[in-house]
Amino acid sequence: MGLLILRRLLATIPVLLLVTAGVFALIHLTPGDPIDAMMAESVDDSVKRELRRDLGLDRPLYLQYATWMGRLLQGDLGRSIRNSEPVIQNVGRRIKPSLQLAGLAMAISLLVATPIGILSAARRNSTLDRVGTSFALFGICMPNFLLALLLIFLFGVTLRLLPISGYVDPLEEPWEGLRSLALPAITLGLALAAVITRTLRSSMLEALSEDYIRTARAKGLGDGAVIRRHALKNALIPVVTLLGLQLGTLIGGAVITEYVFALPGVGRLVVDAVFARDYPLVQGVVLLIAVGFILSNLAVDLLYGWIDPRIRHR
Amino acid sequence: MATILVAPASSRSVRDRRWRTLRRAARARLAPFGATVMLLAISVALLAPVVAPYDPLKQNLDNTLARPDRTHLLGTDNVGRDVLSRVIWGTRVSLVAGFGSVVIAVLAGGLLGLLAGYAGGRIDGLAMRMMDAVLSFPPLVLALALGAVLGAGLTGVVIALGVVYTPTFARLMRGQVLAITAREYVDAARALGAPGWRIAWTHVLPNATAPIVVQASLSVAFAILAEASLSFLGLGIQPPGASWGSMINAGRGYLQQAPWIVFGPGAALFVTVVGLNFVGDAIRDALDPRLRA
Repeated sequence: MGLLILRRLLATIPVLLLVTAGVFALIHLTPGDPIDAMMAESVDDSVKRELRRDLGLDRPLYLQYATWMGRLLQGDLGRSIRNSEPVIQNVGRRIKPSLQLAGLAMAISLLVATPIGILSAARRNSTLDRVGTSFALFGICMPNFLLALLLIFLFGVTLRLLPISGYVDPLEEPWEGLRSLALPAITLGLALAAVITRTLRSSMLEALSEDYIRTARAKGLGDGAVIRRHALKNALIPVVTLLGLQLGTLIGGAVITEYVFALPGVGRLVVDAVFARDYPLVQGVVLLIAVGFILSNLAVDLLYGWIDPRIRHR
Repeated sequence: MATILVAPASSRSVRDRRWRTLRRAARARLAPFGATVMLLAISVALLAPVVAPYDPLKQNLDNTLARPDRTHLLGTDNVGRDVLSRVIWGTRVSLVAGFGSVVIAVLAGGLLGLLAGYAGGRIDGLAMRMMDAVLSFPPLVLALALGAVLGAGLTGVVIALGVVYTPTFARLMRGQVLAITAREYVDAARALGAPGWRIAWTHVLPNATAPIVVQASLSVAFAILAEASLSFLGLGIQPPGASWGSMINAGRGYLQQAPWIVFGPGAALFVTVVGLNFVGDAIRDALDPRLRA
């Protein structure tokens, strides 16, 4: 296991280097001068010159990259042009709602997908299965923002049951906090639940057709015990892989969901930074998201090795 | 010279095979629905100027937020524009973005994968690490960042999505190249002195096409969804131009008074994506039944 961790960590280094190069190049892909793109024409030339010097844009490219990397290694991701605050502080303030949203969405998706996936597979081709697979198709084809607006229309506008925007910290006011996160988490959770349902159904079907299941049944075990004790454990392996693969979609979905529900999270920060043309902030946040994404994928890989011993010994 | 090693396929047997593949695709239960939706979407996109009942940009401030009726089948928006006409013109944007970005990804990724798989060694290592780096970004975040630097507009979004989908095709093509170049008929062609480019062109490419076509057909639906998401966030076609995502975003402020502004383009988007998914599934089942879920 230790060797697996070391190997995976080493493999991450070149990718991380390329990611930093990509994020660094981002600002230089801007057609024309990035400073002109960031600032209004009316801004004084001396201000623009100063910013150009601050960002090091007047120096050769390789020097700019070396300086930028040097700062990165010291934990300095740059400063936002809008509020002059370090990127880290900007993100630090916004990370809590995003993590709460992602956690809640993940919980909802597993609560919804696990019974539907298992029942769909156990009662293959029944009405229940058809409902389950239709739900999965609906969730996969439904864009996040449309589902969000449908939920707002239904629960916020028509039934007036839940708030449609704003954020209350559930750690401070549990009931109001959960209510404020309910619609965003359901939006994000249902999309993820659809994908999990589909994978769990097919991996359960595969597990249920294995010889050891026939043996278990021949021993006289009931349906429930066969599924719980034998099929489900093996069927969960592809689901864990899928959760890793879906992290990117989850983060992308969070960007849209936070935007629709006006949640002050990291996703909303990216969108705001993009439209304010605050490139240093875009660079910093995108880099942090990418590193977070790589590390979570690494964690999922290791978890996979822990669940499935065959991987560990490869 | 090298091609004589492969049993020459008569044009009739090739035709038979294609026919069989088509029949297999059509037999998939939901494929006819998907094909109808796709044909309808393509026709509507091509004939938008003819089939749209009104000018999609023409405002009528005397008739804002009008309910759907016989004159405006999907109602009007907050400045009195006909929602149906805007949905029809939006089809064009969605299909251009969906197909355009996948074409870019197939060409760029296919070429890169071919090069990596064929050259091997350092070039392969560098190309694949680059693809890993692109895959290290959540797709929507990368598209958003690229769209931001390329500037709002359809071209920026198509290029951004093209970049996002490139690694999928590069990896797929590389895998195919590695599998195919290990076959005996490629060894034979090499032994006969066929140059690398000819082996790639006559042996590797034709045999690697099936999985690429399957992946491309499934990717179009997701690219359309991604374009709508970016337009919803404000990148993509700029106002007053019509795209489904931007229409939905503009309509969300009127959800209570005029939900049709959101649900008209929303339904068009959902049905198109479902239809394209069915077509993609049918193509996958027909070309590569092993991949069936």
